[in-house]
Amino acid sequence: MASSSVLSEERGARGIPKAPFIEDVEKYLGGADAEIEGPLKAIQDAISKYRYMDSNLNQRRLSLEEKIPDIQKTLSMVEYLQERREGKTSQSEDDLEDDLEDEEPTSSSKPLKTTFELNDTLFAEAELEDTDTVYLWLGANVMLSYKLPAAIQLLRSKLEAAETNVASLTEDLEFLREQLTMMEVNMARVYNWDVRRRRERRIAEEKGGKSTSEKEGG
Amino acid sequence: MRMIEQDQENDDSTEVTWEDQQKINSFSKLNTRMKGFEAKVDAGKQEKEALDDLSTELELADEDEPVLYKIGETYVHMSLPRALKRLEKDQTDLDVRLTKLSESAQQCEADMKQLKVALYAKFGSAINLDE
Repeated sequence: MASSSVLSEERGARGIPKAPFIEDVEKYLGGADAEIEGPLKAIQDAISKYRYMDSNLNQRRLSLEEKIPDIQKTLSMVEYLQERREGKTSQSEDDLEDDLEDEEPTSSSKPLKTTFELNDTLFAEAELEDTDTVYLWLGANVMLSYKLPAAIQLLRSKLEAAETNVASLTEDLEFLREQLTMMEVNMARVYNWDVRRRRERRIAEEKGGKSTSEKEGG
Repeated sequence: MRMIEQDQENDDSTEVTWEDQQKINSFSKLNTRMKGFEAKVDAGKQEKEALDDLSTELELADEDEPVLYKIGETYVHMSLPRALKRLEKDQTDLDVRLTKLSESAQQCEADMKQLKVALYAKFGSAINLDE
């Protein structure tokens, strides 16, 4: 009467089924004479399902983790632009108080020079005019222009969302890993129980065989 | 999988209780976490080395030459003092991150050690918790 699916109906977070814990192997299999083929196969099916889910989630997490540094780089660039603008506006307001930048040449009054990647190993120099607007690539061939503060906000919230996703995916993966371990332990126990039972049977048969042959001989 | 000799096998076959299962589960979870931490710490250490090399280079750099400092994917020309300031900030940020990571990693290791002791005590050679 082995059920076709070993996994209980209970679901952990986000639909990952919980693995059952076998308290007593014999009871689980249904008696000392139960066949282990059926349950063993069911357990193996469950294990491969878990492994499949595991690789799926892992892939999703990896792609997110790749995106995060990109967002961080964009954010630091936009913040740098913002810093320069702020430095510039405060400069023009009080020409007499230059203590913040007294030793540095005020590079914010000069246009921003950058060397950027045109292609792999090909760089070009560019001068950036002072601007309060940046264009952000939103994906799907869509690019929008944002004022600097709004851009910073948007990027920060994107970064937060990505990091939260990674955290929840990691949680799922850990839960999944626990269930996988439990199933593997279950399989090992069922198998060991069967090995032990076969051995005991063999010993019992040998003993029985010996006593009959003794009777016949004696 | 490893097959143990029959005489090594526990005749009494220590049964796996629910608590044992939970300990095994925690161990496996911590093990996976640990691998993630190790990868991040290694990456962080490499970055730190790069920044340290950078600071040595900048010490010798010419005062009047603009420094091409990498922000994001592009190199921004900035004066040496500004570059030094930014480098310092980046180094401090990285150090903070690294300390946090290694603290969590150490906590993970300590927990794993405890679990190992408990599980080996109960199961002996019937369980394998090492790489």
